[in-house]
Amino acid sequence: MYIILAWRNLWRNRRRTLIILTAVIIGISSMIVMAAFSRGTVQGMVSNSINNLVGHIKIEHQQHPADPAIEHRIITPEKLLRQITAMLPPGSRVVQRIRADAMLSTSREHVGLVLVGIDPDLEQGVSFIGRPPAQGTLFGNQNQGGIIVGRSLLKKINGKLGQKVVITCQGADGTNIAKAFRIQGVFATELESTERAFAFVQLHTMQQMLGVGNDITEIAIQLPDNNGNPPVDLAATTAFLQANVSDKQLLARNWRQMLPAISSYLEMFDGFMLIWYLIVFLAMAFGLVNTMLMAVYERMREFGLLQALGMRPGCIIKMVMSELLLLLTFGCSISSVAAFITVHFFFSSGIDLAIFAEGAEFWGISRIIYPLLTSWDIIAANSVVLLLGMFTGLYPALRATKFSPVQTMRHV
Amino acid sequence: MGDMILAWRNVWRNPRRSLLTILAIVFAAVLLVFMLSFQFGSYEDMINATVRQSTGHLQVQSPGYHDRQEMHLVVADAQHLVAEIEPINGVSNVALRSEAFALMSGEKRSRGTTIFGIQPEKEKKVTTLPRQIKQGRYLQKGDHGVALIGSLLAKRLQLTIGDECTMLGQGKDGSIAAALFTIIGIYTTGVDAVDRATVHITFADFNHIFFMEKAAHRVIITAEHLADITPITQALQSNPAFRSLTILTWDKLAPGLRQSMELDLISGIIMYIILVVVVAFSVLNTFFMAFFERTREFGVLLSIGARPARLVRMILTESMLLTFTGIALGTLIGIGLTVYFSHQGISFGDGGELLAQYGFEDRFYPRLSWMSACLGPALLLIITFFTALIPALKVPDLKPVDALRSC
Amino acid sequence: MAIVTVNNVSRIYHQGKTEFKALDDVSLTINKGEFTALAGPSGSGKTTLLNLIGGIDTADKGTILLDGQDLSSLKKGELADLRLQDIGFVFQSFNLIPVLTAAENVEYILRLQKIPSSIRRQKVKAILADVGLADKADQRPSELSGGQQQRIAVARAVVASPAIVLADEPTANLDSVTGQKLLDLMQQMNTDKQVTFVFATHDKMVMDYARRVITLKDGRIADDIRK
Ligand SMILES: Nc1ncnc2c1ncn2[C@@H]1O[C@H](COP(=O)(O)OP(=O)(O)OP(=O)(O)O)[C@@H](O)[C@H]1O
Ligand SMILES: [Mg+2]
Repeated sequence: MYIILAWRNLWRNRRRTLIILTAVIIGISSMIVMAAFSRGTVQGMVSNSINNLVGHIKIEHQQHPADPAIEHRIITPEKLLRQITAMLPPGSRVVQRIRADAMLSTSREHVGLVLVGIDPDLEQGVSFIGRPPAQGTLFGNQNQGGIIVGRSLLKKINGKLGQKVVITCQGADGTNIAKAFRIQGVFATELESTERAFAFVQLHTMQQMLGVGNDITEIAIQLPDNNGNPPVDLAATTAFLQANVSDKQLLARNWRQMLPAISSYLEMFDGFMLIWYLIVFLAMAFGLVNTMLMAVYERMREFGLLQALGMRPGCIIKMVMSELLLLLTFGCSISSVAAFITVHFFFSSGIDLAIFAEGAEFWGISRIIYPLLTSWDIIAANSVVLLLGMFTGLYPALRATKFSPVQTMRHV
Repeated sequence: MGDMILAWRNVWRNPRRSLLTILAIVFAAVLLVFMLSFQFGSYEDMINATVRQSTGHLQVQSPGYHDRQEMHLVVADAQHLVAEIEPINGVSNVALRSEAFALMSGEKRSRGTTIFGIQPEKEKKVTTLPRQIKQGRYLQKGDHGVALIGSLLAKRLQLTIGDECTMLGQGKDGSIAAALFTIIGIYTTGVDAVDRATVHITFADFNHIFFMEKAAHRVIITAEHLADITPITQALQSNPAFRSLTILTWDKLAPGLRQSMELDLISGIIMYIILVVVVAFSVLNTFFMAFFERTREFGVLLSIGARPARLVRMILTESMLLTFTGIALGTLIGIGLTVYFSHQGISFGDGGELLAQYGFEDRFYPRLSWMSACLGPALLLIITFFTALIPALKVPDLKPVDALRSC
Repeated sequence: MAIVTVNNVSRIYHQGKTEFKALDDVSLTINKGEFTALAGPSGSGKTTLLNLIGGIDTADKGTILLDGQDLSSLKKGELADLRLQDIGFVFQSFNLIPVLTAAENVEYILRLQKIPSSIRRQKVKAILADVGLADKADQRPSELSGGQQQRIAVARAVVASPAIVLADEPTANLDSVTGQKLLDLMQQMNTDKQVTFVFATHDKMVMDYARRVITLKDGRIADDIRK
């Protein structure tokens, strides 16, 4: 009953209702669309970092993070790997790697980098190096002397595919080892710094070179479904692994522990979004109050009359509030749909920041940003507007109860 | 009784409505002034941080060195050039710097690092490194055979103050360069890449070890102000001594920096435009009401011979009076807020760690400038003006008879 | 001398598909110095005719000449100027701009005519004295009684010495004593300053004052009596 009355009253002044509805719709849908882009940016940042040889969970020697030296390695990992795989939910990926600081030299150039020994088949879907290389090929099993370098590094050393480079690093016994490799592939990543920081060789080539037998330096775990939230509790899984690995020298950490800065940014992110919602809400709140006030003043006589006929103030408040509720609900639904359409149809292929590539790199964000629409953002934006919006309605509603019949008759 | 006064009285016919409208505009203006000052302030901090930390405002290099840092691409006779640069107006500091890649070894371990040869007495004036020494001391003029190393590198090589380390690299001419150094200082800049893989030695030592023959890789110029960069560049370009050299400004030296600021500014401006449009629509109803509730009055005015254009002007004046009042108040409050926080600073609490990773300080200082004080309000003014036009332009369509019939 | 000449004028309103002739082939002439009432039952077309003469409505057929000028040949802006210079209006109510004082309301029309402020002030002062409201000059319309408001409206209508003043039921909202005072005032303006007045009215008293009464019926002139 109230709703029907409210609906009719709303459309008594079509233009005014449409204008304030436009403000509400622009406000809410831009809240949601901006949130989708920001979240997409952050999500890109997170997955870039996780793909950057971090993984969801990493297990290494407890000294290794602070002092990544070859003596802090995982000795004979086969049993451990079986153990871990058994503990993880199905669909999880487990890869082993060995890494060491190294110097890469050509006849004219020397550069410092981190050499990583990998099993290329296992890396697919776990880290960027599992993707097909930008040029050349990933090494097969037989190719012991191949190295894969980053695109930027190749440019820096002025090299090309097939060229020979010398890798110098320290073996397990402390002696310096030099070995020649042929550049067999070139990888490209979102971030140029990554392209300069790493070079990859076969896992057992590197194990032989360092003289460490089957030892490795890290086990990286990718939990199933990496796009949305992983289905298992990251912290609990990490704690479970830590508690159950047989070797007490080992340390299990998840990406939130390994990337504290990004992690704390993620925690602040929802707060930033709420602030943005609040600001946009405030911008339209003034208009909301004003419009409701106009609607109320325009019907001053009507409210005075209703009160004269014996309507209780509570009912008048209810009348005004249901008009506002209807207006806001209407605005919220249209905006959510509009935001959904905007994100899925207009920006489904993302925004290419190519002209700001270096700026994007600076912030550690991907070159192409895909908006990510989450139910949290839609619900949060709508609730901010609905709850606080109803709050702003109190003032006009209370005003409406103050019109006495005598007073309104004098007012023309 | 000018038209202005007439408009002003009309504005206050409905004080509640006008106040709410002004408040909406005040809110937007305050926010825009403060946020833009904040953004511009942080950009300036970013530029200064980068400029001080590494690039300087301007650099003189050998052509090609910027793209590929090869040892042999040097600025010969660098000391002579310093003497040419120093007297130029706006130059505050000129320092020479060379860089080489070398293998640093402690007793048991080694790592590839970048070695910087610096002039401590000059760099001390501009860089933040002296303040980031956590153990030991900074380099001094006349030091010989000593080195500063990053804290992560020290840990990695298991070195502390007083320990000796060896350096193995390649000289400018391609011959083997080797030397022994004593650690006198360990620094933590907060940027992992710097703390993990850099070493600083004196320019004289570098010159000697890497057979540089008094040449340098970079001549680093710090300007008094950002505005001095262009005149300094022009002065250098017109000097024949620099003809065969490349002059690079900070935005070319650190292109990511400039773009990152542009990216940030553009995303900021998109947000501000959304905000202003929402505010504009919020106040559009007020503008419309000022028109519709007075239709009869306009009918009378048209009947007695006022031209429609005059009425358009009148209600535009009313809308703009509201807008101006709001913008003026908002800008003033925004400026006040900015000035307050530019002394106080704004702390980001937990976010400090993240900021450090990007090379920021943990406190932000908004900075007021003409740009930051005017850009937002101007945007607000333009968009509100066009909004006010929507109802105002309905006046010429108004027929006096119809207007008189409405009540 | 004719100030207004109405030739075979019709005004047709369309209500859905049906047409309604508010004025049907009306012709009349009004001379300078006349004090004329348009009478007739409600809906007979009095207001319509007055609006057409005043140039705030346009005829569907026929021509209206004001001071020899064909109104239909004028552009919007020219019409506005014509109204400003040659016509004064007095409506039934809500005549005045609420945010302006009595004096400012009268002055506004002179201001529109770009008359220098010193002359403006003199003229306003004189006319306010004529309508007997010199002491109310600085009051806002809301602080004046209905009769006083109408007198200010008359003052505004005649202050710029128009060729003709058109008044649509000026006395309808007033009691008879106040209405009579207003009519006395207008009659005085008519005799002293030779201002031409045309009223649309139901009011018997107005018709008594008028020297010519034109009676409309169903959009046609039923009667035209000169006393
Ligand atoms: N805008 C309009 N649309 C349709 N019909 C109209 C319009 N204006 C006037 N009319 C009709 O034209 C006729 C004449 O109206 P008008 O206002 O001239 O009458 P009136 O003689 O002034 O009456 P009253 O004495 O009641 O003021 C009326 O029947 C009215 O219904
Ligand atoms: Mg009438």
